[in-house]
Amino acid sequence: MVEKASITKHELEHLAKLARIKLDPKEEDKLIKDLDSILGYFKELQELDTADIVPMTGGTDLHNVFREDAERENTNRSAGVEAFPESKDGFLKVPPVFE
Amino acid sequence: MEPLHDLTIKKFHEGLLSEEFSALEVTQAYFARIKEKDSEIGAYLSLAEKSALREAEAADLAVAKDEPIDDLAGVPLAVKDCILVKDLPATAASKILEHYIASYDATAIKKLRAAGAVFLGKTNMDEFAMGGSTENSAFKITRNPHDLERVPGGSSGGSAAAIAAHLAVAALGSDTGGSIREPASFCGVVGLKPTYGAVSRSGLMAMTSSLDQIGPIAKTVEDAAIIFKTISGQDPLDATSVAAPYGESLTHPDLQKIREFTVGIPDEYFIEGISPEVSRAVESAMEKIKGLGLRLKKISLPHTRYALSTYYIIVPAEVSSNLARFDGIRYGGTMAPTERAKTNLSDLYLKTRGEGFGAEAKRRIILGTYVLSSGYYDAYYEKAQRVRQLIADDFKQAFESVDVILTPVVPTPAFKIGERTADPLTMYLSDIFTIPVNLAGLPGISIPTKKNLAPHELPINFQLIGKKWHEADILGIGQFYEKID
Repeated sequence: MVEKASITKHELEHLAKLARIKLDPKEEDKLIKDLDSILGYFKELQELDTADIVPMTGGTDLHNVFREDAERENTNRSAGVEAFPESKDGFLKVPPVFE
Repeated sequence: MEPLHDLTIKKFHEGLLSEEFSALEVTQAYFARIKEKDSEIGAYLSLAEKSALREAEAADLAVAKDEPIDDLAGVPLAVKDCILVKDLPATAASKILEHYIASYDATAIKKLRAAGAVFLGKTNMDEFAMGGSTENSAFKITRNPHDLERVPGGSSGGSAAAIAAHLAVAALGSDTGGSIREPASFCGVVGLKPTYGAVSRSGLMAMTSSLDQIGPIAKTVEDAAIIFKTISGQDPLDATSVAAPYGESLTHPDLQKIREFTVGIPDEYFIEGISPEVSRAVESAMEKIKGLGLRLKKISLPHTRYALSTYYIIVPAEVSSNLARFDGIRYGGTMAPTERAKTNLSDLYLKTRGEGFGAEAKRRIILGTYVLSSGYYDAYYEKAQRVRQLIADDFKQAFESVDVILTPVVPTPAFKIGERTADPLTMYLSDIFTIPVNLAGLPGISIPTKKNLAPHELPINFQLIGKKWHEADILGIGQFYEKID
């Protein structure tokens, strides 16, 4: 595991941008402190030799669950549209992507 | 009318059939009690009085017409707010979903509705089921009915408190790392976390998809079994759900068979840091189970101590993906229309998510983004998935020589409100005995060690862990245990 287990302010700002979360400066300081202690805690996993272990990628032993490739009518479309803050002619309306 | 304090699903059903009371009367009695008591407890986030009374009348009509009715017909239930009930609010105790109304029923709700159940309202929880005390709710705290200065546990704290305070007959919760079993212990009620895949997750807001399960919180193990029997089963809307051959033995256990079980007691769960009263209570439960005729055997689950680290890598990773859908658009916005008109899409996301998510949600999203990012993925996320396999293998090996495993649920009884909010790691520690069960995908049940508590005494539960798809084993032992005086 990586030796460095702390997050710089610059890294945190990058992560927050990737996650589309605006943080205020006070939140940033607390988060850096919390993340450092949590990441420090994770170091204990380094003790374990897991080279020959196959990663467990989910909660189930199932493989390839299929459904019929058939057309299905969605009878509940309007409920989704109603939840949008703004819609036009049954479509989602969003603020401009480019300025 | 049967006082609400004693009302179980079983007793309700008998009373309804013998026309001792109507479902409508009982439902009205619950709303009267909620209005009187819930300002003190804070179990509910929203009530559904109008629809609930209608559902109760439908059950009464079926009784009047002599139609065959299900065990759950007319039974007033509470539902955790991250589980969708059509036309009712579903906020998951998050500001980002403050105005969201569910547009469909979760599959578990659909099944309960088909059985004729009544939905009283939606219960408080830690935001998006992240926490162990219900203090992470964006709207309010919930108090422990046994001591109002203490937390009810979490994240299904509202559901557990509602049952302990007699504000519903039974409830649904969800459990990702202990969120049904820990609050059940703090509130002294029964909580079942089913095998991963036993209950459809359709309509449960995803927190950690590879760990989340819906399960019952009830006054008795028998009631938990009745609900589990109804909500389990394969569902085309959840590709990880499985058609398990559950039968009558869920609700009608066979004592002869159960007496032949060997109960594993893992060394790693009786560690320093566990409070003396928890040790004593769990040991007394072991003695009673021995008294039923079962054999106890010491076992080892050597990777237990790595479960917490593993869990807090896997969970944030999945959280950061699952919570990406809450963007201030698709499930309703929180931004004022005048402000919306002046913003661009990117700023709308940043602002909505920055203001709409609470501290724990943000912590996990950022941490998850970090452990999944290029350069750290192998070191954290993949490493955690490998250790998860080692933890699952521990159980697999243990179950070669035992039928069920008995452990404490939480190292301590309910803690005080505000006691653990400053440091996330101390909060995480209350789940050390429940997390391994989710990582391995096994069923676990949290059962009160004691039926009648002395004044000021706090409840303490013990946990039974079963083999995959063997809910009948742990429910069976529990049903015989709760009959011991």
